[in-house]
Amino acid sequence: MLMDPQRETKTRQTRRIGEGVGFERTRRITGYLVGTLDRFNNAKRAEERDRVRHGV
Amino acid sequence: MPSSIIKRDGKSAPFDSGKILNAVNKANKAVGEEEMSPTDLLFVTEKVCGRLEREGLKHVEEIQDVVEETLIRYGYARTAKAYILYRAEHAKIRNAETYLMDIYKKLTWSSALEEDIKRENANIDGDTAMGTMLKYGSEGSKFFIDNHILPKDVSAAHNNGDIHIHDKDFYMLTETCCQIDLIPLFRRGFSTGHGHLREPNSIESYSALACIAIQANQNEMHGGQSVPNFDYAMAQGVGKTFCQEYWKAFAAYVQVKEDGSEEEALALAGEMRVLAGEDIRMGAAEDFGRRLSAAAGAGRRPLLEKAHAYAVEKAGKATDRRTYQAMEAFIHNLNTMNSRAGAQVPFSSVNYGTDTSAEGRMVVRNLLLATQAGLGNGETSIFPVQIFKVKSGLNFQPGDPNHDLFQLAMATSARRLFPNFGFLDAPFNLRYYKPGDYDTEAAYMGCRTRVLGNIHDPERQTICGRGNLSFTSINLPRLGLEADGNLGAFFALLDERMDLVFRQLLHRFKIQSAKKVRNYPFLMGEGIWMDSGGLDWDDAIAGVLRHGTLSVGFIGLAEALKALTGAHHGESDEARNLGLRIIGHMRRRTDEESERTRLNFTLLATPAEGLSGRFVELDRRRYGLVPGVTDRDYYTNSFHIPVYFPLPAFRKIRLEAPYHALTNAGHITYVELDGDTCKNPEAFEAVIRCMHEQGVGYGSVNHPLDRDPVCGYVGVINGVCPRCGRKEGEGVSPEVLRALRRQYPDVPLWDG
Repeated sequence: MLMDPQRETKTRQTRRIGEGVGFERTRRITGYLVGTLDRFNNAKRAEERDRVRHGV
Repeated sequence: MPSSIIKRDGKSAPFDSGKILNAVNKANKAVGEEEMSPTDLLFVTEKVCGRLEREGLKHVEEIQDVVEETLIRYGYARTAKAYILYRAEHAKIRNAETYLMDIYKKLTWSSALEEDIKRENANIDGDTAMGTMLKYGSEGSKFFIDNHILPKDVSAAHNNGDIHIHDKDFYMLTETCCQIDLIPLFRRGFSTGHGHLREPNSIESYSALACIAIQANQNEMHGGQSVPNFDYAMAQGVGKTFCQEYWKAFAAYVQVKEDGSEEEALALAGEMRVLAGEDIRMGAAEDFGRRLSAAAGAGRRPLLEKAHAYAVEKAGKATDRRTYQAMEAFIHNLNTMNSRAGAQVPFSSVNYGTDTSAEGRMVVRNLLLATQAGLGNGETSIFPVQIFKVKSGLNFQPGDPNHDLFQLAMATSARRLFPNFGFLDAPFNLRYYKPGDYDTEAAYMGCRTRVLGNIHDPERQTICGRGNLSFTSINLPRLGLEADGNLGAFFALLDERMDLVFRQLLHRFKIQSAKKVRNYPFLMGEGIWMDSGGLDWDDAIAGVLRHGTLSVGFIGLAEALKALTGAHHGESDEARNLGLRIIGHMRRRTDEESERTRLNFTLLATPAEGLSGRFVELDRRRYGLVPGVTDRDYYTNSFHIPVYFPLPAFRKIRLEAPYHALTNAGHITYVELDGDTCKNPEAFEAVIRCMHEQGVGYGSVNHPLDRDPVCGYVGVINGVCPRCGRKEGEGVSPEVLRALRRQYPDVPLWDG
């Protein structure tokens, strides 16, 4: 059977890797690093959100 | 008389007048005067029952109201009072039990995503079976401590948010942390309590046993564990590995050159090893070569000299490779091995950077390289906390023997957030420093703990085998709000609060002191804690615990200053001076308490992960939304300038540095850099140099560290991944990933 070239292109386009996968954001909380903000408690999430960078 | 009553849960139960009589009798007995005869008791009971019947009262609370009123009406005022107290006490117990069960329900049926209580500590997975089991234990223990152990005023002060007793669930059990010296531990071999381990003989075993020691100790204490001299300790493993590799290569060379048997070659190597005297060391290979030549007969000399040169080069490379693998394994293990029944990995810290031996340098270089490489797929390792000890003459200045490692440490920190930097030249650290003695090099544990001075034993103001016993923090913003601008009132309240905390720390210390060596088979049984080696299994640890510290912490200096002066220490000179006065006063008080008790009372710049939200919530309930004080969801960490306040890095360092000298139980200053500045080595170094110059004790640089698990990119990701171009949640085609993999070898394999 002949392959339908259009169909093959379509399959290739729809096969995508990483759908639904988020970015990881490592942050220092007090002195420890945490691999994801999900495990921060509410207060620390707020603190992390408010942080401003210091210029050099 | 009513036939039934309605209980608190709404169910009905048969009426029993005997219960009323008993309750009144109990209340009367508690008074000790106003004695009621059996007839009096019956009389009151009958009066109560009559009124219940007349008014149709059935609910248990209504019945109790009638009992109170009847007692008062017939002249039993004191008994009535006792009855009211008894009733209130029971209400409290009932409420408390409901409270505990409510917590257990939350722990059981809610996910960590929904419930803050399961995210108190970000490094404990509150969703797992063991994580939840740990929380059941912890919450049940807190309930027990509150209701049966703590003096009532202390328990109230904790629960209303005046103070915070850290690790209260461990109140009856153990101490916070310890700085472990692996060198003597390894020399004699050790038992973890579950099996004995021999002295290790290669860098791989050194690294593995270091992990095991950290893990074993973590399971006996409630805080993190630290190795204060990681380079010195591991250097011995590198030395042993180098010797093995050297003689292996030496024999191999001889065998090939002589075309002899392996046995003959090994025999010759063994013979020379004895004749040459002290065995070869990595940093003194030439010296060994000379001794070897001298020991060899003239006939063999040329062969052995060549074998030596070959073996030195071969062993150097092999040892370096093995050390890298051992350091990689060390990091991997500390991020994956379990503690606390699987709810955590051990909280670990390692300090290094001052050992200038070839072996120690090899350890640090490879540990830093392995840290840069990251875990599988390039993930950033969370543990151990790494601390590079900065010291002029050893690594800080160009030309210092470990200056290259200092440079590598900064490059690693710019990429992976670790190491942090401990400054041995800060005056309060330098005063303890003795060149060449690692036991006098200031070290830091975990997020900031520092244990160095020792009033109990001034001859031993040293690092190893010591740690913090417990710490309790004071809510400074509340004092500011209570004082309402009146400084005299503020300092009076502060003194009152400090007295309470001193008393509480001593209360806990007494409990800790009654424990025996057998309660800590590793920490005390293996002699890790200072002087515990001389104790027997059933000896109390009271004496040796006196080497530890009892720390008073504080949180929210910035908000306290806002409440008192309208500005924090980043905003006005008035606040700046007052801030130093407040913390200076606290330090004076802890010093005086040390003098008085000969115990190490120290002042801590509290990190307060779980605490920062709890205090502000309680204060908001009490004082409402006070601008600059209670209007955010957290209080500012210790003496820090608030995270939301914009100011240049150098100014932040200058403003916070003086507090490092005052907080002898530990401190840290952070600077937040953006991704680009951080990648600029000169800018990064300028920040670290400024910390050194200003007398900061412990500092670190924060920068956004994101990672795309799909293409493996590590760096800053705003909306779109700079490497593969996907947005959060989007997919990438396999072709794109394959093309990227040709360019970047760290792209994870997804498509086989």
